[in-house]
Amino acid sequence: MNTLTDRITEDMSAPLDERQAAVAPNFDDPVLNPDFKTFGNVHVDDPAMTSRNVNVSYGDKQAIFNVSLDVGKNEVIAMIGPSGCGKSTFLRCLNRMNDTIDVCRVSGSIKLYGEDIYGKDMDVVLLRARVGIVFQKPNPFPKSLYENVAYGVKLHGLASSKSELDDIVESSLRKADLWKEVSDRLDKPGTGLSGGQQQRLCIARAIAISPEIILMDEPCSALDPIATAAIEELIDELRKQYSICIVTHSMQQAARVSQRTAYFHLGRLVEVGATDTVFTNPRHRLTEGYITGRFG
Amino acid sequence: MNIQGDRHIYKRFDKEMQYLHNLVVQMGRLAVNQLEDALDTLQNENPGKAYDVISNDKKLNDLDLQADDEIIRLIALRQPVARDLRVLISIGKIVAELERTGDEARKIAGLTIRFFESDQKPPSEEILRDIYSLSAYVINMLEMAIQAFDDLNLDLAADVLIESAQLDNQLKSILRRLSTFIMEDSRNVGHFVDIVLGIRALERFGGHSSNIAGHIVFIEKGIDVRHTDDKTILRNIRDVYVKEFDTALSEKAHESDSGEEGR
Repeated sequence: MNTLTDRITEDMSAPLDERQAAVAPNFDDPVLNPDFKTFGNVHVDDPAMTSRNVNVSYGDKQAIFNVSLDVGKNEVIAMIGPSGCGKSTFLRCLNRMNDTIDVCRVSGSIKLYGEDIYGKDMDVVLLRARVGIVFQKPNPFPKSLYENVAYGVKLHGLASSKSELDDIVESSLRKADLWKEVSDRLDKPGTGLSGGQQQRLCIARAIAISPEIILMDEPCSALDPIATAAIEELIDELRKQYSICIVTHSMQQAARVSQRTAYFHLGRLVEVGATDTVFTNPRHRLTEGYITGRFG
Repeated sequence: MNIQGDRHIYKRFDKEMQYLHNLVVQMGRLAVNQLEDALDTLQNENPGKAYDVISNDKKLNDLDLQADDEIIRLIALRQPVARDLRVLISIGKIVAELERTGDEARKIAGLTIRFFESDQKPPSEEILRDIYSLSAYVINMLEMAIQAFDDLNLDLAADVLIESAQLDNQLKSILRRLSTFIMEDSRNVGHFVDIVLGIRALERFGGHSSNIAGHIVFIEKGIDVRHTDDKTILRNIRDVYVKEFDTALSEKAHESDSGEEGR
């Protein structure tokens, strides 16, 4: 991390004004202010997931600093911020996807309905069933459409009979608004669908194992506007049953789909608030600068 | 990565916003000129020039349309949020206020035509005095409002609101005085309605300036202060202003009373 001391000992051959600018502590920069507290209320009345003082490091590089944030039941919370701000890292902490990275260290507390997800007794496979994830690039299994959706259900033993499995596959595809388009070709490979359909298939796959929370990491960035609209409409529909955390680079998308928006900057949660407020009258100037396109 | 002050990454967006900003300032100056010119025609008893003032109002109407077109274009193309959105929405309202100030100035020019083109004896200087003083007052208010917009200066916007509250007091005094004139000399009755309409137009002119100040509060603070009493607006701007507001009002009321007594 480029600390204040590092900056002071930096290249002394640079012109004086540049050096002064480099060492001047800018306390608007949250990373430089150890007392920085997130603007807005990180708590919700009815949380599905609570994170407190979460710190994440990759080796000796700290990526997330002291982030506390609740995810409410039946809400869509959007996480926005410039590249490298830690929003995806934080998202991946919520179902322990970071466990797959050797050098990654997570501290603090993350609870799913009061249960510590980093606790000794937590079954990570089960956790990832309860907290599903949809990635940026649609990644259907190289199997049939039916098998794509049924795979997780069978893995977790959630269906006791073939007909029950059929029902789960159908209802998941219906919830993902894909049933009408694929019902007559369930035996065809999932990879044969269009990008938007593949992403909805991945959502159906996540829904099939009855998660409590769905994490979405830039789910529409590889899709055209029509497919994006279909996914966004789906997100709004899914909210009735699930909590959804979505990381997105599209501010318009965050504004359209979420009820709360969290703005991350250099690993800090700078501001969180009702989406309406964040996009009309943000409280922190970094949030304002980012959403209005005043960053350089 | 830092915020680049007030500059957008899209430099063209900055230019487009600046263009709109300048358009508002230009309209404000034009509106001030219109009322000054209308007043001039009244003082110089020049109905010919009054027709010019009326036709010049079209310039304000055109700028109003131009601003609206640009706002719609920017909303469609730039999808502004936060402060940018507040600025654009507020500018849309400010230009509408300015267009209406032009209409009020036109009404004052209309007075010149009615007073000095008819066979009727024009009103005395005495009876027109309040129109002149009130015009100067509301012109100052609009100038302050435009300056407050140009600098996005909340303190100056607050001053406009204080002036606006004082304007109400002035109107009461003026109407009281006019009634006395009518009672003293019944030959003034013929012009009474026109004078009252003129005063009403000037009061609206001041009202639009006050609304502009409210829109500046919205830009800067994100608080919609329409349909809110001046004290609440001022509290939103700065707590200290509540006290200053009371003091300023009582001082002005005192000045106004002693001025009236002196006449």
